[in-house]
Amino acid sequence: MSLSLLLQSVLSGLTNGFVYGLVGLGLASIFRGTRIINAMQGDFALIGGITAALLLERFGWPMAPAFAAAVAIGGIAGWLMEVALVRPLRRRGGSEDSYLLLTLGVAFAVSALALYVFGRDSHTLPGIGGESIVVIGDAAIRTHSVWLIAISLAVMGALRLFFARTALGLSMMAAALDADGALTTGINVPLMRTLTFALGGLIGGLAGVLVGPLVNVYFDMGLLLTLKGFAAAILGGLANPMGAIVGGVTLGLLESLAIVMVSSGYKDVIAMAILIVIMIAMPNGLLGRRLRKGG
Amino acid sequence: MPPLSRVLMWGIAFAVWAALPFVATRHIVDLLVFAGLYAIAGLGVAFLLGQCGIVSLAQSVFYGIGAYCTAWFCAHQALPSPVGIAAGIALSTGIAALVGWPILRLSGHFLALATLALGIIGQVLFLEWDGITGGTLGIGGIPRIAPFGFAFDTPLRFYFLVWPIALLLLVLHHNLLHSRNGLALRAMRDSPEAAAALGVDIHKLKVQIFVLSAALGSAAGSLFAHYVTFVSVDSFSIDRAISFLLLAVLGGVYTVWGPVLGALFITVLPQWLSRLGDIHALVFAAALIAAVILLPEGFGGAIRKWWHARVAK
Amino acid sequence: MTAEMAAEMTAEMTAEMSMAAQTADPLLQVRQISHSFGGLHVLRGVDFGVPAGSLTGLIGPNGAGKSTLFNIISGFLPPQRGSVRFDGRDITRDPVRTRARAGLVRTFQTPKVFGKLSVRENLMVGCHRHLASGVAGNMLRSRRSRAEMELMHAQAAQAGERFGLSEVMERPAGQVPAGMQRLVELARGCLSRPRLLMLDEPSSGLNTTEIGQLRELLQRLNREGITILLVSHDMQLVDVASRVHVLCFGSIIASGAMAQIKQDERVRQAYLGFQ
Repeated sequence: MSLSLLLQSVLSGLTNGFVYGLVGLGLASIFRGTRIINAMQGDFALIGGITAALLLERFGWPMAPAFAAAVAIGGIAGWLMEVALVRPLRRRGGSEDSYLLLTLGVAFAVSALALYVFGRDSHTLPGIGGESIVVIGDAAIRTHSVWLIAISLAVMGALRLFFARTALGLSMMAAALDADGALTTGINVPLMRTLTFALGGLIGGLAGVLVGPLVNVYFDMGLLLTLKGFAAAILGGLANPMGAIVGGVTLGLLESLAIVMVSSGYKDVIAMAILIVIMIAMPNGLLGRRLRKGG
Repeated sequence: MPPLSRVLMWGIAFAVWAALPFVATRHIVDLLVFAGLYAIAGLGVAFLLGQCGIVSLAQSVFYGIGAYCTAWFCAHQALPSPVGIAAGIALSTGIAALVGWPILRLSGHFLALATLALGIIGQVLFLEWDGITGGTLGIGGIPRIAPFGFAFDTPLRFYFLVWPIALLLLVLHHNLLHSRNGLALRAMRDSPEAAAALGVDIHKLKVQIFVLSAALGSAAGSLFAHYVTFVSVDSFSIDRAISFLLLAVLGGVYTVWGPVLGALFITVLPQWLSRLGDIHALVFAAALIAAVILLPEGFGGAIRKWWHARVAK
Repeated sequence: MTAEMAAEMTAEMTAEMSMAAQTADPLLQVRQISHSFGGLHVLRGVDFGVPAGSLTGLIGPNGAGKSTLFNIISGFLPPQRGSVRFDGRDITRDPVRTRARAGLVRTFQTPKVFGKLSVRENLMVGCHRHLASGVAGNMLRSRRSRAEMELMHAQAAQAGERFGLSEVMERPAGQVPAGMQRLVELARGCLSRPRLLMLDEPSSGLNTTEIGQLRELLQRLNREGITILLVSHDMQLVDVASRVHVLCFGSIIASGAMAQIKQDERVRQAYLGFQ
């Protein structure tokens, strides 16, 4: 296998990996804040992508405001979901599995809505830097992909700062770690939970906007993204959302190498098998410290 | 409840069940057959989740193995149906034991992900190994189950095959719940440390239940193959695994009959909604969400609570 | 299976234990156990033995390392150094359930009852380790499976009476008052025919009367032949032990009869220092 082929596959693996990582980051953030596995994280991406497509194609918005609005709509969707659906379930004493089922139901609903309103067509979003590419050695990568990686890293860093330094971020973490304790210090715990979902929605919407130019935005894209994002988050160890990015990149690279070394048909098999081995060998995730197993 | 009323109640229920396929349309009976098949596969998932706390997204793999073994042994090799069913169960339980042993040491979300990974691996292999499975073209010409010349070849007849089998399996699981090991399962759910401190082999029990669950999935898959006589990869994807999980949680995982309700919900309801046209998927999703929010312990749990409240008066 | 047969089995059990008491080797031997968390040395070279048939106490002020030692002996924590021998075998690396199957039964500081199961069912789980029916047999309601259920019911009923739990047998164990939960745990543990019964701070949360009742219960169980290791910081309760080891700052500073220990200068300092 030639070096340029290897390089090319690493580049595409990185790109995919950061997408998975971003989805995983949203998943892990929501989990950390509310202990809910959000099965519709990939559908936040769908919402972001479709909104951007709508604004660009039907309303002729310029790129930057359209993307920004799409991300914001993702955040609003997250906020809405928590307030309108998660809270009532919480009031009724939902178990972990019923929350999972709820988010699954919402994932179906969003997907069905997209199908109903926009049909089966897929949309391709314009990338940052258009169609231009960056050449590294013998391999090429779209400028947009470079931006994708850079933005993902920036988001990761910003989140870290947010949770560690800002009052709001610390409050959210406090509410997640010890709800009762946080309440006594005057933190509005229900609001923190809502904001956690909104944050997850923002990150998800961003993932959608970033992946849109590379893949097609279509009604069924949510599930696969959620599955990969879930894998990324778990690999990174759910305790640390930043680990999701590491997990995602690992998954992306595994997939790419599998395609090149074996065949594209078996890429998922190899990636999933290695995933299982990693989990058995490293019970705390790739980044894990001696924390509880499996989240 | 006095014994006579009880007998009467069960009698009426039986009569309704037996009469139903004669008064309903063929289409509805067909759906009820699918409900039976899904109830069997879903029982495996529900029991594993309810008693061991394990979310399994791998049931579609065992369902597929059962179906393809039946297809291979009965269609290609022209052997009688019990061979296919037995082969499917043997292969499924073997794989479940082999793979289950290491992965069931994982806990919580790691384990769920591992089962998901299995589900995806199964889905891809079914597609790629098209020499055995026929890939997207599938395998057809699967013979009907026909002991002594009586063929279960219509929805009506198959209805009277699949539901008694489902009922039998429910009874077996009920027996298990009320036995030494069933007690150990419930104990280990409540406090794994205390259970271990009393000598309960938690890991071994989990593997056994996982294997049992796989056997159920496989049996359902074999019956499915004999019913539709043609199988292809589309029926054995992760979507299928998700619907098994869905029906299990919707129906309620703490009762053995919960999956029956869940299975009815996901087979009959979408059909009934399809008359609404393109919007039916959305309405189904909305109904699903409503069911989850309003009945956090599933249909089974809600009914059981209602029953206890009534008895307490 | 009748109450008579269950009583017969209890008698057998007692005879078994009296025999064990005759052997010379201590039933439990802890050797040179050391353990630290991070930089904190919690246990340093702990050495002691529990003779079969005895009622032994392990006392020490809070923070002495009793819980850590307890968890190491019962298998919930692997020690960094040292060994644990039980009934002649080295069990240092054995998992919890293997130790339980060998007859090493423990209770927990906060009683770990099976909350959603009834008290009766809790007791029945105690019988688990002696029975052998498999999942398949259970599903098919084999003869063995049914016989086992009858046995478990009978033994649970008997234990319920002995421990004064008859009134609450059908209540979910999670809804029973804390003092009774302790009894449930104890009864359950006894049903699993322990060679050694280890009690972790059994008096926490109990008032003086209840502690007195617990003392009598422990003496009764010991007279019936159950070896007991009692870990507690409560002097009044440990008084009932025939031999006591004092753990302080991670090592045993004194061992002997209770009366001796009370006079020991080091022990007084250790406790006074913390009062």
